[in-house]
Amino acid sequence: MKLTNINKSFGNKNVLKNTTLEFPAGKTTVMVGPSGSGKSTILRSLNLLVMPESGQYDFDDHHLDFSQKVSNKDKLAIRQETGMVFQDYNLFPNKTVLGNIIEGPTQVLKQAKKEAIANAHNLLAKVGLADYGDAYPNELSGGQAQRVAIARALAMSPKYILLDEPTSALDPELELSVLKVLLQLAEEKQSMVIVTHNMVFAKHVADKIIFVENGEILYDGTPDEFFAPDNPNKRIKNFIASMTMENLK
Amino acid sequence: MWEIIKTSLPQLLAAGFKYTIPLAIISFFFGLIIALVTALIRLSRQRGAFMILKWIASFYVWLFRSTPLLVQLFIVFFGLPYLRIKGVLPHGIKLEPFTAGIITFSLNTGAYASETIRAAISSVPTGQWEAGAAIGMTRLQILWRIILPQALRVALPPLSNSFISLVKDTSLAASITIMEMFAVSQQIAAENYQPLLMYTLVAMVYAVFTTILSYFQGYLERVVDRQVNANNR
Repeated sequence: MKLTNINKSFGNKNVLKNTTLEFPAGKTTVMVGPSGSGKSTILRSLNLLVMPESGQYDFDDHHLDFSQKVSNKDKLAIRQETGMVFQDYNLFPNKTVLGNIIEGPTQVLKQAKKEAIANAHNLLAKVGLADYGDAYPNELSGGQAQRVAIARALAMSPKYILLDEPTSALDPELELSVLKVLLQLAEEKQSMVIVTHNMVFAKHVADKIIFVENGEILYDGTPDEFFAPDNPNKRIKNFIASMTMENLK
Repeated sequence: MWEIIKTSLPQLLAAGFKYTIPLAIISFFFGLIIALVTALIRLSRQRGAFMILKWIASFYVWLFRSTPLLVQLFIVFFGLPYLRIKGVLPHGIKLEPFTAGIITFSLNTGAYASETIRAAISSVPTGQWEAGAAIGMTRLQILWRIILPQALRVALPPLSNSFISLVKDTSLAASITIMEMFAVSQQIAAENYQPLLMYTLVAMVYAVFTTILSYFQGYLERVVDRQVNANNR
């Protein structure tokens, strides 16, 4: 999955400036950076919820040129292959947990309902919510809702899972329940792109780190180098220090 | 007095079940379809030639909300026969009173209900559209399976109110010769010279009809609440 020279602006603000990034399959790529830096815009461009104004996007056999109109067929196909998990879960409140998970497989992939339900039960067990199939989203805690959202994304068997600050709305205890699921997925070599502010988790899970600021990529490499105490990039060092609250010392 | 009530009440109820209720139900059914289509056109983000359709939809809503229902009824029933176009409509458009009533009430209800539906659809968080899109659902699938069920919960109370208003508004159909409940009460009052009694009686029958409908509205809201469970987190 690769973005090449993409540009995106909202009003007068250029959020992405000639951004080129590659997201390796079977790996966990973590995007970090200050709020408003463009991380979520990159993530949403991968799922085509945001359409950049120019640049290219290569995904398997799909080659998109954003300066031309992207066909609906390409759009739907890429979205099926890139499961998205949102910061505020966005579960469908009118459907049960099971209903949320089987919606995509039955309506989009045209899977048989019986098969989709069996698969959904497996996924719920995987995220530690085996007994919650009949619950409605408003009966779940934030951590449970986010795990259902992850199960919903996994139900489409996507090549990549994109997670947009999946734990920033959760308190630390609930956050842990979600992070454990993500760690398990990383161990299973599920391709993931995660936007997070949690540096401890980023260090733990990332195969690759991308640091974004003002729509520009200031770092694209291994977590070891990124978190190294002798990282020559002062800006990155300061950012890590502020995010891990080292400056309080 | 009781004798008059005993003889006229069955006539009023017969007119109610033959004209008032069918007029209201059929008009509301078509009105809802018109309202949904109008709301979707107005909410659409399509540009280009579609803008003409959006303009027509906005004009229609403006027109029917800014003119009296009685005047609309008169235009459709008494006015349209004079809409003569050489070669196309040499005799204008002549409609049966009941048909004219259905058309006018449907269009009027459609204009008001379209605003209700538009607001209800807009009230569903954008995240719901995105969540549907993110799993590859088409816009139509998202609308039908995710957005409309949630919008229904918001729209149900105002739509029920519109229906109750419509039941009462059908009394205006008396003016275009439909022998609905109010027209029958006028006729009986003219015969027995008891206008106070007759109009009070017909008012009570309308009140009973709308009270039953209000009760049904409450029941429907509870059912939808249970099914839609729309407390988004």
